[in-house]
Amino acid sequence: MNTTCSPRTSTPATSGVTESLRKPLYNVNGNAEAYEVRVELPGVPKSGVKLDLDENILTVRGERSTNVPEGMKAIHRELSPLSYQLRLRLNTPVNEDQMTAKLEDGVLTVRLPLKEVAKPRQIPVL
Amino acid sequence: MKLIRTNPFSINRVSDFDEWFRHPLAGLPSLSSFINNLGEVFPGVAGDKLAVDVHEDKDNYFASFEVPGVKKEDVKIELNNGLLTVAAEKREKDGEKESSFSLTRSVSVPDGVNAEAIAAKLEDGILTVTLPKQERSKPRSITLN
Repeated sequence: MNTTCSPRTSTPATSGVTESLRKPLYNVNGNAEAYEVRVELPGVPKSGVKLDLDENILTVRGERSTNVPEGMKAIHRELSPLSYQLRLRLNTPVNEDQMTAKLEDGVLTVRLPLKEVAKPRQIPVL
Repeated sequence: MKLIRTNPFSINRVSDFDEWFRHPLAGLPSLSSFINNLGEVFPGVAGDKLAVDVHEDKDNYFASFEVPGVKKEDVKIELNNGLLTVAAEKREKDGEKESSFSLTRSVSVPDGVNAEAIAAKLEDGILTVTLPKQERSKPRSITLN
């Protein structure tokens, strides 16, 4: 079974945060075993990714590398230089220790295995 | 499958051309025709438009395109009649289903670019095309007979 779920997105904390961030494009897929979150982070090197799971809030931060070396001037700009932040509230307990993430071609894929209690069970009829 | 295709950069794209002319450097003759959007002339024909940044230094122009999730082999770059066209095929896997869509963008290349030496690299979802400037022809004096 393959279900698509869209967890509620919490708005970034506004108190005391002055840094400008933007929300990256993402999608979430899930099955009986795990959730998979794909986040588009173009321009972010591996060293610029920060992942954090606090209680049930998953936070993804992507620091864009400043790709404009000295002596270079911009003639035309459409790409935003802002860094990314995505906060997702998980409504299912996940196995933090088995969480994995990989960054490939500017896309971060986070796999969140579900805890045993959250997996579907067959209940036999007696 | 739910495919989210919103591109944050496509909003306000209507005024793209205006914005370009409002740019402080837009008045430079060699640059005034740098950006040419095929998609604006023929909407829908060129596929979804890729956002682009253009920078220059002493020796090169650099055009950077955002192509997250696109593999090297799915990028095509073509130079035809002074028009540089980038086409990227984006494939997304959702379980067993796979979907793909294409993104394109054309940029007109200014005069004085060494077309033979154009190079491109793909890193962290950013495609950078380097367009080397040709060495300026040396001034020569013409003697009167």
